[in-house]
Amino acid sequence: MNIPYGGARSRRLAAPIALGAAFALLASACGGGSSADSDGVVELRYSWWGADDRHSTLQQVIEIFEAENPDIRIAGDYTDWGSYWDRLATSTAGGDAPDIMMQEERYLREYGDRGALADLGEFDGVLDLSNVDPLIADSGDLEDQTYGIASGVNVYAILADPEAFEEAGVDMPDDTTWTWDDYVEIAGEISEATDGDVVGTQSMSYNESGFQIFARQHGENLYDEDGALAFSTETLTEWFRITEDLLDNGGQPGASQSVEIEAGGPDQSVLATNTGAMAHFWSNQLGGLTESSGRDLELLRYPGETDNERTGMYFKPAMFYSISAGSDHPEEAARFVDFMLNSNEAAELVLADLGLPANIDVRSHILSSLPAADERSAIFLSDVEGDVVDGNPPPPIGAGEVVEITKRVTDELSFGNLTPEEAAEQFISEVESATGSA
Amino acid sequence: MSALLQRSPKKSDPAPTKARTAKGAKGGGTGRRRQENLAAYGFLAPWFLGLIIITAGPLMASLYFSFTDYNLIGDHQWVGLENYERMLTDDRLHSSLRVTFVYVFVSVPLQLALALALAMVLDRGVRGLTLYRSVYYLPSLLGGSVAIAILWRQVFGAEGLVNQLLGFFGVQGPGWVSHPDYALGTLVVLNVWTFGAPMVIFLAGLRQIPRMYYEAASVDGASAVHRFWNITVPMLTPIIFFNLVLQIINAFQTFTQAFIVSGGTGGPSDSTLFYTLYLYQRGFGSFDMGYASAMAWLLLMIIAGFTAVNFLASKYWVFYGD
Repeated sequence: MNIPYGGARSRRLAAPIALGAAFALLASACGGGSSADSDGVVELRYSWWGADDRHSTLQQVIEIFEAENPDIRIAGDYTDWGSYWDRLATSTAGGDAPDIMMQEERYLREYGDRGALADLGEFDGVLDLSNVDPLIADSGDLEDQTYGIASGVNVYAILADPEAFEEAGVDMPDDTTWTWDDYVEIAGEISEATDGDVVGTQSMSYNESGFQIFARQHGENLYDEDGALAFSTETLTEWFRITEDLLDNGGQPGASQSVEIEAGGPDQSVLATNTGAMAHFWSNQLGGLTESSGRDLELLRYPGETDNERTGMYFKPAMFYSISAGSDHPEEAARFVDFMLNSNEAAELVLADLGLPANIDVRSHILSSLPAADERSAIFLSDVEGDVVDGNPPPPIGAGEVVEITKRVTDELSFGNLTPEEAAEQFISEVESATGSA
Repeated sequence: MSALLQRSPKKSDPAPTKARTAKGAKGGGTGRRRQENLAAYGFLAPWFLGLIIITAGPLMASLYFSFTDYNLIGDHQWVGLENYERMLTDDRLHSSLRVTFVYVFVSVPLQLALALALAMVLDRGVRGLTLYRSVYYLPSLLGGSVAIAILWRQVFGAEGLVNQLLGFFGVQGPGWVSHPDYALGTLVVLNVWTFGAPMVIFLAGLRQIPRMYYEAASVDGASAVHRFWNITVPMLTPIIFFNLVLQIINAFQTFTQAFIVSGGTGGPSDSTLFYTLYLYQRGFGSFDMGYASAMAWLLLMIIAGFTAVNFLASKYWVFYGD
């Protein structure tokens, strides 16, 4: 900190130097942000969420795309599901949204309605949407604008580890007939037989997608066409009661442990760590979880599909490819989306990780080359297809907040701060205020 | 910070003298002075621009946004006091205030007490004082960091180090950060652990108390307790006051630790939902930036209020010596 005291000459220089340095700092702070290099290569940013294996796969896909399109460079920008939405909101607000982003149905409207996403219908000749499975082709449309195009099809189901069942000496259930009582009972048996070393099931009420199936089994749904809540308090109470039963009989980990498991994401799930027999996941996560668990996991239909009013399972657009409305290079971004959606090369790497590919030709192309796990999920999807009654209306704006509300209410329920009835009431009132349907 | 406190009297002295002598010797005029001023402003410019662009600008913008329904992405409308009115009925806001107040009122006194106690031990002339000082100061540098918060989550996890240690004694510890009854306490411990910064300041303060007071008191037969309460504490009140104001402000602004330890949720069941964390959730999770801005201003008011009360009350207990 000792500034040597110089002569008159050095002092005369001091002012210009200081000012110069200040401006240099300022200039460097304002620089950056320009995305076209002098050599004409366009730089794009592509953001997604996921676990480790998805990150490395998508990086490989990007490399292939760059090799074929030397005029475009793509920077991958990835994180886990939890921080993805915070980061996307922040960067979008700062006018620095990624050019291409993965979206999800609960958030798509939030961004689309506010003008943050480009209309994908406007890239004729660049982005070919003609081969997309009609089941989900317009799932990203809102008011005649295509804000997102589905990457693939997904179904919410139970992932089971046959080895864990074997370890506990419990038979795998027949998932075409099992009831919710069976589910609770089996989970309890597994925990008991292994003395808690292997729990029966991971807590299921942290994700509202499961309840959506349950509500549909009762002839209700999570949201109706207008985005209002479409289920009764009794149904939700009953849903929470199942979790309470599982806590009582030890079929699922205790409250505090569940909090830690949930915070860890799929890589810390009871399946990945070989400490549980069942967990609720999207079918596209089978591949990743098979890898991290080192076991041949299987997909099971939801319990209660046959002994209730109707079946509840449904197909969901796994994720959406969206392009930022503020992108400087929408055409190039659309070329990349086209590559992700329609190229066999990309699909051969991604396989079913972003859902079973939406492009029907691509899907049939990779079906033969799918590794065992992804093939099982493809077969499972086609098995279930006959039972799926209908799809779901798009969730209302604010549905993204429901993710957090669900977690919070489940925590309260698990720690015994709320009864199932109270949990149902709190969930309903919080969701109504978040989605503005009160 | 300690370095500044200790050295400031020495440091500020010689510089002006030198300047004066230089001017006297070389007979510089007003032109040189102006040039010197210009240089000073030049060197100040980066900081000053930073203040305007990075601090003052956003501050004013957030005041404006607090009266709008700004949602981060789209346009915004003026809504008057609506955001402030909504705060009155927001249960989660109230529970976040409760969590934050408990945190401030428990962790700050504990932290300062520990800091003072260790400062007094070190002041007795321990061999290797500089080493101890650095070692104890280290957590203050690291405490607010993401890495430490992640480490903390591991150490206090259900299967973490703490519970493994407890296991040796046959005690089955709870999941310290994943149980609503213990999570906040764990964060309090994390804050108390960063006692190094106030400790170093206390140490500097203790060094300035003239030894003769203690000698005189000992001659008169005062016990150690008496010496502490009647010499150390009164002489140290300006330092205590300084630390208190600073640590209260810091504690109100706690964010990183809670964000990382709870995975951004403030969970389990909102037990670590600090005010700043809830503000962040409203702003960036729920796109409710207008409301979040209003919350930021409420926090500013609260901190300003506490600081003002502190300064007013200081008249009655802080002793600035002769």
